[in-house]
Amino acid sequence: MASSGGHSPWADPDEGGQWVSDLGDEYDMPTDVDAAFRTLRRVAVGHFMVFLGVVVAVPVLTLTVDWWSEGRLIGGMTPSFVMAAVGLYVFFFLLAIAASTLSNAVEDRMLGDPEPPDGGPTTHAEQRGDSP
Amino acid sequence: MNVASLLVLAVLLGAVIVLGLVLRPRRASTLEFYLAGRRVGVMTNACAICGDYFSAASFLGVAAAVYASGLDGVWYATGFAAGFVPVLLFVAAPLRRFGEFSIPDFLGRRLGSDRVRLVAVVVVQLVILSYLVPQAVGSGITWELLVGDGIAGLTPYATGVVVSTVAITALVIVGGMRGTTWTQAVQFLLLLSAFIWLVIVVIASGFDYPRSVAELTTDPLANPAEVDGQWRLEAESNRLEEGELAYFGHPGGRYGPLGQITLIITLMLGTAGLPHVMNRYFTSPTGTAARMTTVWVLGLAGLFYALAVLLGTAARSLIPGAAPDQPWLAELTVDGVLRVPEHAPLVLGRLYGGEAGLAVVAVGALVAVLSTIAGLLLASAASWGHDVYERHINPNATQRQAVWAGRAAVVVVAVLSAALALGLRPYSLTALFPSIVATMVTWAFALAGSALAPVFILAIWWRGTTARGAVAGMTVGAVTAVGMVAAATVIGDRSIGELLLTPTVIAAPLAAAVTVVVSRRTHPPAELDRLWAKLHGTAADRRAVRLARLTVTGINGPDGGKDSEKKR
Repeated sequence: MASSGGHSPWADPDEGGQWVSDLGDEYDMPTDVDAAFRTLRRVAVGHFMVFLGVVVAVPVLTLTVDWWSEGRLIGGMTPSFVMAAVGLYVFFFLLAIAASTLSNAVEDRMLGDPEPPDGGPTTHAEQRGDSP
Repeated sequence: MNVASLLVLAVLLGAVIVLGLVLRPRRASTLEFYLAGRRVGVMTNACAICGDYFSAASFLGVAAAVYASGLDGVWYATGFAAGFVPVLLFVAAPLRRFGEFSIPDFLGRRLGSDRVRLVAVVVVQLVILSYLVPQAVGSGITWELLVGDGIAGLTPYATGVVVSTVAITALVIVGGMRGTTWTQAVQFLLLLSAFIWLVIVVIASGFDYPRSVAELTTDPLANPAEVDGQWRLEAESNRLEEGELAYFGHPGGRYGPLGQITLIITLMLGTAGLPHVMNRYFTSPTGTAARMTTVWVLGLAGLFYALAVLLGTAARSLIPGAAPDQPWLAELTVDGVLRVPEHAPLVLGRLYGGEAGLAVVAVGALVAVLSTIAGLLLASAASWGHDVYERHINPNATQRQAVWAGRAAVVVVAVLSAALALGLRPYSLTALFPSIVATMVTWAFALAGSALAPVFILAIWWRGTTARGAVAGMTVGAVTAVGMVAAATVIGDRSIGELLLTPTVIAAPLAAAVTVVVSRRTHPPAELDRLWAKLHGTAADRRAVRLARLTVTGINGPDGGKDSEKKR
């Protein structure tokens, strides 16, 4: 019976599992991964700053703008109540769609070419001509 | 006793057990038991994560917080939903691509250290326990209202705790992650259906949401309090403006100037450190699937919490008018206001659907508790069984032994949480915290967000993170969070106590700073490029997609397969 815990600290738990390794022509070059990582980090941090700005703005507006807490937007609801009860959820969802669409596009563009058969450029960075 | 409620409950528990039996893992494999073979689809996983995440704190606690505190109570829902945005941006895809079994396993492998793994196990277990206990409390409260009678000499509260713990422990032991995934997904759809039904009947009865908010805001917010042995309504003071009273639709009913922001940050970062939620990402087939799962979770969470806020408002607006004509409300209310805010959705269910309506909502509440308990028990089992037993106690364990170690861990943790819940008296705590279930869950978020999330995110996005840095960061984060919450129980929840009760805003930056400072003085693990490719590369994703395509074309026939391969 197979042992469950004896593999090395760096072993891949998927190895020998359902994702068979005979489809081994998929690989990522370290330079491509690093470039994609940096782009994805910019995407994530950028969207996070927008998210944080909007979320923090709601209580800050409460403390600084009277209309935000006293005005009437929908029926008897204040802008503050509308934003907290519904508006922020819509914003989160739209932000999530935007961030995931952009992240998926970045990964598709920067990673994922099959191994070049003729010894041509092997990384996306080299193909773009901006590799060191 | 409510016969309809008992019947619905019995059918539900029976269905859950049968589902678990039908979907139980066919092979004694840790990959099957803990991760459902990593084959859970996007929508199934999104629903299962919602079932996992929407606990009693969401189903009862959010509506209760809105009921008790008005606008300030809405921030619980906002924080719970907001938590998945950082998960989407920083965690979901790389976590799945690295592909381990649990948070401690991820940290241990990413940083190449067994010590990190063990420290993370301790923190994860503390988070799980502090999350499990309020779920058990929620099940006790719900049983008390739903059934009202105890079994075998137990009080109704104790019976609820014991029955829910035994039922869900059996499900997890038998069904593993596969059975739990499907039952959690179905349970979430039941929860959502219960809320949608309740909203429809409440609105059909003439409830006008905007107008009710305006009407509730004309008089000061008042809640029941026991003074000199007598229950009476006490007006809530405004925490934003000294000497003023609080109003339902205005801020200040619960939080001072910093309270909202500290709560949001605590809930937001806490989500990224919740072991039972993060473990679900390991069940996705690819990192991209994990990312898209989170998008759906955010959509479903927004819908769910918007309904919960509406129901909290409806309960505040409608129950006082109904109380004179409903004798059964007399013992639950003081001048038409509920003594225990968590009863709000349940009372609405009974008011608008009779005994059957109460049964629907109460069963929904129990379902919320059960699905979350299931996820927590599985996360605990993965942590004890995989990270401790397989890695340290018996590294040569067979798959069968490892799975049984996980099952044993499930039983031990379940018994411990039930014992702690039985030792608590929710009515005495309710006087201290308006919504005790949501408040206790916040403590779990505080610990997860302070100790785990900063280290977790740094390990994913900063190559310089080291094992020593992670250990120091987790330790400082956990000690700071626990110390601040403990101090808050002495100081109270006003002024500085507000900050102490939601400590992540201080503890998380501190943990991150300590991690960075210590990491800069030590060396990151070898093979960093390989680890980075595993975390942020998509080769494994593409392999999985190709395999899936080949499988489909294989099923469709060899010709179809050739055609589709040519097209590629």
